[in-house]
Amino acid sequence: MSLSRREFLKSSAAASAAAAIGMSVPSSVQAQADDVESSWRWDKAACRFCGTGCGIMMATKDGKIVAVKGDPAAPVNRGLNCIKGYFNAKIMYGADRLTQPLLRMDKDGKFDKQGKFAPISWKRAFDEMEIHIKKALKSGGPEAVGVFASGQYTVMEGYASQKMMKGGFRSNAFDPNARHCMASAVVGFYQTFGIDEPSGCYDDIELTDTVVSWGANMAEMHPILWSRVTDRKLSDPERVKIINISTYRHRTSDLADIEIIFSPNTDLALWNYIAHEIVYNYPESIDWDFIKRHIIFAASPVNIGYGMRRSDEKSVKDGKYNDKEMETVSKEMQKVVSEKEAPALKPYGYKEGDIMVNKNAGLAHWEISFEDYKKFLEPYTIDYVAKISKGNPDEDINEFKEKLKTLASYYIEKNRKVVSFWTMGMNQHTRGTWVNTLAYNVHFLVNKQAKPGSGAFSLTGQPSACGTAREVGTFTHRLPADMMVDNPQHRKITENKWMVPEGTINPIGVQHIMKIHRDIEDGLIKFAWVNVCNPYQDTASASHWIKAAREMDNFIVTSDGYPGISAKVSDLILPSAMIYEKWGAYGNAERRTQHWRQQVLPVGDAMSDTWQWIELSKRFTVKDLWGEWAPSGPRSEKLPSIIDAAKKMGYSEDTTMYEILFANKVAQSYKLDQRDPIQKGYDNSEGYGDSRKVIGSDGKVFDGYGFFIQKYLFEEYAAFTRGHGHDLAPFDVYHKVRGLKWPVVDGKETQWRFNVQYDPYAAKAVKKAGTNNSHAFYGTLAKALPFGDLNGVKNPEKKSLENKAKIFARPYMDPPEMPSSEYPVWLSTGRVLEHWHSGTMTMRVPELYRAVPEALCYIHPEDAKHYDVKQGELCWVESRRGRVKARVETRGRNRPSRGLVFVPWFDEKVFINKVCLDATCPQSGQTDYKKCAVKIYKA
Amino acid sequence: MKTLNIITLGIITSALLLVGCSESKNVKPTSKISDTLSSISEDELGLRKSSVSDESNVVSNKTEYSKIDAGSGYKFKRAFQDAPPMIPHNIEGMLPITFQDNQCISCHSPEVALDMGATPIPASHHTNFRPQHKLLAGEKFVKITDDMKNEVSIKKQDTLVGARFNCVQCHAPQSQGELVKNNFEPHYVKTDGADKSSWKDERMLKGLETLGDDSFITEDDFENSDSQAGTLNKEGNH
Repeated sequence: MSLSRREFLKSSAAASAAAAIGMSVPSSVQAQADDVESSWRWDKAACRFCGTGCGIMMATKDGKIVAVKGDPAAPVNRGLNCIKGYFNAKIMYGADRLTQPLLRMDKDGKFDKQGKFAPISWKRAFDEMEIHIKKALKSGGPEAVGVFASGQYTVMEGYASQKMMKGGFRSNAFDPNARHCMASAVVGFYQTFGIDEPSGCYDDIELTDTVVSWGANMAEMHPILWSRVTDRKLSDPERVKIINISTYRHRTSDLADIEIIFSPNTDLALWNYIAHEIVYNYPESIDWDFIKRHIIFAASPVNIGYGMRRSDEKSVKDGKYNDKEMETVSKEMQKVVSEKEAPALKPYGYKEGDIMVNKNAGLAHWEISFEDYKKFLEPYTIDYVAKISKGNPDEDINEFKEKLKTLASYYIEKNRKVVSFWTMGMNQHTRGTWVNTLAYNVHFLVNKQAKPGSGAFSLTGQPSACGTAREVGTFTHRLPADMMVDNPQHRKITENKWMVPEGTINPIGVQHIMKIHRDIEDGLIKFAWVNVCNPYQDTASASHWIKAAREMDNFIVTSDGYPGISAKVSDLILPSAMIYEKWGAYGNAERRTQHWRQQVLPVGDAMSDTWQWIELSKRFTVKDLWGEWAPSGPRSEKLPSIIDAAKKMGYSEDTTMYEILFANKVAQSYKLDQRDPIQKGYDNSEGYGDSRKVIGSDGKVFDGYGFFIQKYLFEEYAAFTRGHGHDLAPFDVYHKVRGLKWPVVDGKETQWRFNVQYDPYAAKAVKKAGTNNSHAFYGTLAKALPFGDLNGVKNPEKKSLENKAKIFARPYMDPPEMPSSEYPVWLSTGRVLEHWHSGTMTMRVPELYRAVPEALCYIHPEDAKHYDVKQGELCWVESRRGRVKARVETRGRNRPSRGLVFVPWFDEKVFINKVCLDATCPQSGQTDYKKCAVKIYKA
Repeated sequence: MKTLNIITLGIITSALLLVGCSESKNVKPTSKISDTLSSISEDELGLRKSSVSDESNVVSNKTEYSKIDAGSGYKFKRAFQDAPPMIPHNIEGMLPITFQDNQCISCHSPEVALDMGATPIPASHHTNFRPQHKLLAGEKFVKITDDMKNEVSIKKQDTLVGARFNCVQCHAPQSQGELVKNNFEPHYVKTDGADKSSWKDERMLKGLETLGDDSFITEDDFENSDSQAGTLNKEGNH
């Protein structure tokens, strides 16, 4: 039975009236109570938390949020939320919300880096930012001004900050915390498809027969998607199979048919084992017609290091890394090939004991033959793979082998649909890009990608890692809609749209988020602004970055709703409006863009991040920012002056960035209008100001920009997407639907990208090519490659791969730090269901805090005994970089095998990122938070 | 839309303020911090009330879940109307939830709950909103609800909805205290709202048409003709 809402209302009215008769509540009380709800205002919004992107219904009364419920009309979650989703109701109401700017000052009221925080006006706050940004620019040019951006920015915030950073400051020292959560997925997409973001959608869950979770605790991290998986399993328990592949047992295992516990990093070997089974033992399962039409094979260098610091970097030369740390960091320069990885590296000419000298190879790759790919796969026999990948020392090897064989058989079985989901386990990985591409390999070989019910599907961590960080492009190297700063044509298109001179955008975009921390430690970046993230809690090797922020000559600003660790180590703290205190939009992991309206006014003097960026833009003029900049940091050539070009466009030396980027004529055409059904009755603190009469950046009451700034920002950004495979629908449309999956073409969303049946862009590409192919992988990045073999390019002439995707040869390799006699235990970190990231919001919701009040050290009971630590008592978790205390948990929701502990990172008092290693995937720059070596002992 | 009468809009309320409280119009809102402290050290800020550089004396708050046995009748107040209730009893030995063994259901099923002294699983958990879209021959995918019209599919069933099988995704045991006071105030619609779910029948669909009579997409919406910024010029191909 399926009813439209109106029909349902008609049919259920009689039934509910009858039910009411039986109630024991006195009718007068009941009437009074019902009257309460008539003064509630219900509206739709997107959940604040994970990348699932659930829809919520939110009730406000007298300017406060009073309730949240699941939205039955929201396709993602259909009337259900997880515990965090419901408690969106309370996240803005912690009593210690930041309500005024706070500056470290001395007794005379002057800025003092060693001073205590004291409240100041917004005007003073922007004065200080202006002074310190100008000082930083003088010291190191645009590269000295950095921003820790976010996958939790609204689309509008991300776009505003990008415009000011790249179009105003000409700085690419701008990168989001999303770097830590899905950069490897992104590079995987780019290398495989030539374009970012998934082909599939969540409807795959109801259509599939098999869900394989790889390094993803979906039950806790994507609970609503897991509820859909559970529902699917219960609908057909015999047919539907769930496999959980993880380095430790967790709640996702509890509902799985098969659990595969593997040794950290050997997911590389597991994927290659499945491909080996297909190619060597079940070659008939390869869909050669599909492969020949759509796929090429590719290889890339293996000696690419681990994204750690190199010996020629300033802080290393200055001795800021001690001998213990250097034991691991030295592997960045060279390493010895281990027994474990030697067989996998044999096709590349390495043997056990060889010295591998590491070099940055960037993203280089080339085409190879299928025969060379087959040669590459040769080592991944069941014996080798089972031997290196079995992660539970207490499991029988033969039982483990059987599981691997069953796993492979599910992918191979002709009529079985398979979805592979993954998140941080495969992304936070020193070979994260590699392992992402290996997932597509298997799905391609058996033609189970970009089809209803089948596909490798990268789940996203953050609510708008896709919608903002990736699609808007709040990364150092990116521009909107898959464009890149290093592409002159892309820069030109962007400059044109932004009405800034050609040559404005800095072409060097390499200061990713780890590099920003390191550039602060090296003294290059002198000003950094934290937006909607918590980089001083969320970054591995945390002690280094805190020390650099607190002890060096720089100025750190944090904008936040609550005082988290980043606020504590900052010089200036700015109070930000939180999620439902502003108009916004997020984009989730299935390409769904969702908007909401401002539900309530911000607290105190808090203002949105969009407002903060726009106010800052008023402080900088053409002559301040657009002159010539000498080479600096990663940029070896000067950045030319564009002042003359600006004058030709009608700007003067004193025109402000505000006038150019944010309050131009086009922007002002977006009218505030209380007759507009979308705006009617809703606050717009940026547009109108509001009843708080906040004293703004000029010392006067802020009474609004006078135009619909959020709609302008969204529409201008959306212009880049329309007609380019990312098409977003108009702003107004999103206020009338529960989100749409882009590309939205001719009023229709796209279910399966690259599939000719579903994606109009694929259909167009196939038509243009004159083929009858089923798919077109029409992304354009790295779509012409030279040819070679596993060891390098043999024929440098590039051949076009238009509409094709790639299968990559990428071997198993060890991570840079593994357990040893001194540090005998693997440490993995992550989240828990009840808390979001660093806990600044969820630890302030009593129900969520009480659910999980502390980060525990989850450990096997035998290990606890072995290291002489006891359930419920404190232990130290210590690595080469630092140690923290946590309580021991031997029987909780996470149940590691012997040899591994899990400690979540939400708890400020269990500051586990001091222990973690800042090694990254060298291709994606994403940190591996899942692997380092520790010792455990009694505290 | 009748519920749109709560307007906290600046231009309107500020006009009222000017009339009603002219004395206070120039008084800047002050915060707690400035009321009570002229300055505050970083160690006093936030949840970790200690130096960020030293771990020696930092200990997190110990988990102390309820030891009260299931069936005692003790309940936590719901956080707001129809908020998921938290678990008031000791859950040692009751987890994990597996397909073979879901101990929550065995006591909270409506048929047995009252006898067990447990909160019965409410009607919402027997209402399936997930439309069963179809995949026809030739991989043709057909949606049975129209998302462009915000259609809702409703199917009542006797058994627990599969999506709600994993009880602990919404319901959690509770330790003691709070780290920071939370100023959220619930407004229960029902007199027993702190105790009981009222999310059933038409209440489930209350407020879904968020733009009232303008809730549905028109052709003009897709035309987007008044959006000056909304397209690139011809040179904008990338």
